[in-house]
Amino acid sequence: MTAPLLTVDSLQVAYHRIAVALHGVSLRVMPQTIVALLGNNGAGKTTTLRAISGFIGLDDARVIAGTIRFAGEAIENQPPHANAARGIALVPERDKVFPNLTVAENLTVASSSRAAAAKRRQLEALVFQFFPALAELRPRLAGLLSGGERQMLALGSAVLCNPQLLLVDELSLGLAPVVVEDLTRRLSSIRQELGITILLVEQNAGVALTIADYAYLLENGRVVLEGAAAELRGRREIQEAYLGQASGEERRSYRAFRHRPGGEPPHG
Amino acid sequence: MSGDDAHARELAMLGTARAQVRFAVVLAILVALPFVATPFQLDLANQVLLASIGALALMLLTGFAGLISLGTAGLLAAGAYTVGVLVREVGAPFWLTLPAAAAIGACLGLIFGLPSLRLRGLYLAISTLGLHFVVVYLGGEYEARATLSTGIMIDSPSIAGWTLSSGRAWYFVLLGFAALAVLISVNLHRTRTGRAWRALRERDVVAGALGIDVQRFKLMAFVVSATMTAVAGALFAYFRNFVSIDAFSLYLTVQYVAMIIIGGMGSIPGAVLGAAFVIVFPYAIEAIAGYLPARFGNMVFALDYAAFGVVMILFLLLEPDGLIGIWQRMRNWYVARRAGAAPMKARR
Amino acid sequence: MSQQLVANVVVLAAIYALVSAGYVLVYRVSRVLNLAHGELMMVGAYLLVATAGLFSGNPLVGLLLAAVCGLVMGIAVYAVLMRWMTGEAVLASVLITIALGILLRGLSILIWTTQQLYPAATFGWHNPPVAIGPGVRISAASVAIVILAAAVYAALFVFLQFTRWGVRMRAAGQNPLLAEQRGIRLHGVYAFAWGLSTFTASLAGMLLALDSGVESTMATIGLKAFPAALVGGLDSLFGAVIGAVIVAAAEIAAIQYVNPLLSDVVPFVVLLIVLAIRPWGLFGSREQLDRV
Repeated sequence: MTAPLLTVDSLQVAYHRIAVALHGVSLRVMPQTIVALLGNNGAGKTTTLRAISGFIGLDDARVIAGTIRFAGEAIENQPPHANAARGIALVPERDKVFPNLTVAENLTVASSSRAAAAKRRQLEALVFQFFPALAELRPRLAGLLSGGERQMLALGSAVLCNPQLLLVDELSLGLAPVVVEDLTRRLSSIRQELGITILLVEQNAGVALTIADYAYLLENGRVVLEGAAAELRGRREIQEAYLGQASGEERRSYRAFRHRPGGEPPHG
Repeated sequence: MSGDDAHARELAMLGTARAQVRFAVVLAILVALPFVATPFQLDLANQVLLASIGALALMLLTGFAGLISLGTAGLLAAGAYTVGVLVREVGAPFWLTLPAAAAIGACLGLIFGLPSLRLRGLYLAISTLGLHFVVVYLGGEYEARATLSTGIMIDSPSIAGWTLSSGRAWYFVLLGFAALAVLISVNLHRTRTGRAWRALRERDVVAGALGIDVQRFKLMAFVVSATMTAVAGALFAYFRNFVSIDAFSLYLTVQYVAMIIIGGMGSIPGAVLGAAFVIVFPYAIEAIAGYLPARFGNMVFALDYAAFGVVMILFLLLEPDGLIGIWQRMRNWYVARRAGAAPMKARR
Repeated sequence: MSQQLVANVVVLAAIYALVSAGYVLVYRVSRVLNLAHGELMMVGAYLLVATAGLFSGNPLVGLLLAAVCGLVMGIAVYAVLMRWMTGEAVLASVLITIALGILLRGLSILIWTTQQLYPAATFGWHNPPVAIGPGVRISAASVAIVILAAAVYAALFVFLQFTRWGVRMRAAGQNPLLAEQRGIRLHGVYAFAWGLSTFTASLAGMLLALDSGVESTMATIGLKAFPAALVGGLDSLFGAVIGAVIVAAAEIAAIQYVNPLLSDVVPFVVLLIVLAIRPWGLFGSREQLDRV
């Protein structure tokens, strides 16, 4: 059995040392898979991603217990550039591009300490293959791009960093369904061709589950459900999460369900 | 009802017996001081008391309300020049000049405070810096046109034939003014105004949403602070019997900012401690200069600059909570030691 | 305005522009307002005095060496002091630069005393006046200042727009966190920005020293250049040039037609007017107001 690329074990994260946002989150991401992190606003998805990427210093947050292991190394509370050097690239939810640089300059900035010049050129070619629209947009200021174009630029920049693990925070937020469908397909082909492992945070469970291999559902800073994507698609809890609030009596907390693993995570 | 009693006790400033004893001791020391100190030490104490007023004024503005101002020197100059001009032009007595200085201070406070309605942080500081230069220019203009020498001579204030000129007399007068400043600060801190200012300091957008009249409280902070500072400037003019624009440089402002940083931002005893530190510091440097080779020893003011810069940097880097922060940490450590527990880390 | 006055405005604007470049570089890249900039310029001028003493027969070597020392000085200031303030409150950083300025002023006086020093004399150069038009004369050093200011701005423009390091610096200024995540080492970028800033300031200081000598009050010129940077917009190099012209024109006009004593206060009056009407400056970005 292959080892997971990323292991998060009983992770606890607190803001300003007192507001605990994650109460012991555990998850595993196998290499070359797409794993989805689902849940409503405030469930702790973004916090988890921040902890993994090293962006955790925002709002005075800290990992106060538990471990995060990436390719065997512990990476809690490391600065972002250290994790970037290890091969973790983050596409944040907001401020995901440099607004006053052109698209071409945005792509130039994504430098990789791990890739040689030849590999860089290869990656650049691939990025324009995945996102052909970017080629025409090269001279445009990133701040003037549409939401979908910006997301493509952000994804492209992240890929250019030649990462092993790509973290995407809210792929679909603010985008039209057609655009989202397009992006998810491209994400899938990125995984296919480059073998990059992807951890995808999404409020829109339906979208995420179309391309994910495995998924975790977070609520109030805890994992309340996990399993293979195919299995979870039909579950009522997921449908409730996807559709938002259920009505009246039916609005149950997932604490009523014991945390049950939905089977072995798929191999890479 | 017991609830009311407890609340009343909390509000009263010297509610507990311990606080009363502490106050009595401090009072005794303060009253005894002028009779046991040397003239030099007494003058030093007077300078500290005078500086405390300005330091408290700045602390109200920056430490409490979170509004940055680099205009202290300009306001001190305004108060001092009000006295100087009135004495020189019309020979006004102190019971006219002091209120006049306060009024000028209040007006300037309004002017200095207007930018704060639109600007925050850095930009607010820059606007007060600009106003400082304007005030200093006006003072310089008056001096250039109206006086033949650099500066205005001022007689000591007198009433009914008795002149205020001895160190001891000044001590009690300044002690009174400083105590008044402390009282005002403490009261503002504990009342609705203080709470509004604290809300402003945290997030003025949120404060506005909570129904606090942000504009009114910002302007009030500036007006109160500027009035206190101008009065301090007026007292300074009488204390030194002399007013000259050269004394009111940017360096003076920086010294006051240093007072509240070194003392501890947002703390009333901190402002006084900081004032004491900054006032005494040059004398300490002068003493050290005596041991240095003559080349350096002769340029004491440059040594003072350099040493002051170093100390300020050290405090900003290492101890942003100032002397009060150090004191609190020592206390925590001591208390924890006594309780047998591991020392706590000081909270920011 | 007579042609001589226009020439004076151009020279003063060039000085302010050259100094302002430093304010803008550091602010744009690392969001710190460096109020020690004037003192750093003064130290650059004193560095020329030092190298002039060592290389009195070789002015070019002296100038080059002093300029390089200026660059290193900026990097050192960041590496030793300012790096600890990265990520802290902006105001605390500004206060530390003020303290640094005071320290530098004290040290400079201790080392070089309060006497006015003339490195031009050490080089044996007497700064002749140059006629640039009918009845218009400015000093040779002033000509050099204008030429140098233009060259520096051209070089900075090319650097920031077209080189990899330039794009990285602009990126770090726009979104430091994202820059870190894309592999840019912020400390390195900031240190280089500081180095460039003191480099340009030193050049300005050195030329001013060649023109009229150096003495500890030279730092005031640095402070007067700050309104030029703000008027243009603290994060715009192009704005700094325009701001410099505006401030210089206002100052010269005031000295000529109103009162010579106004020289030190006019820049700040312009500053107050701009803060009242358009605080982010003529060409600055509005968002920067909220970042502080």
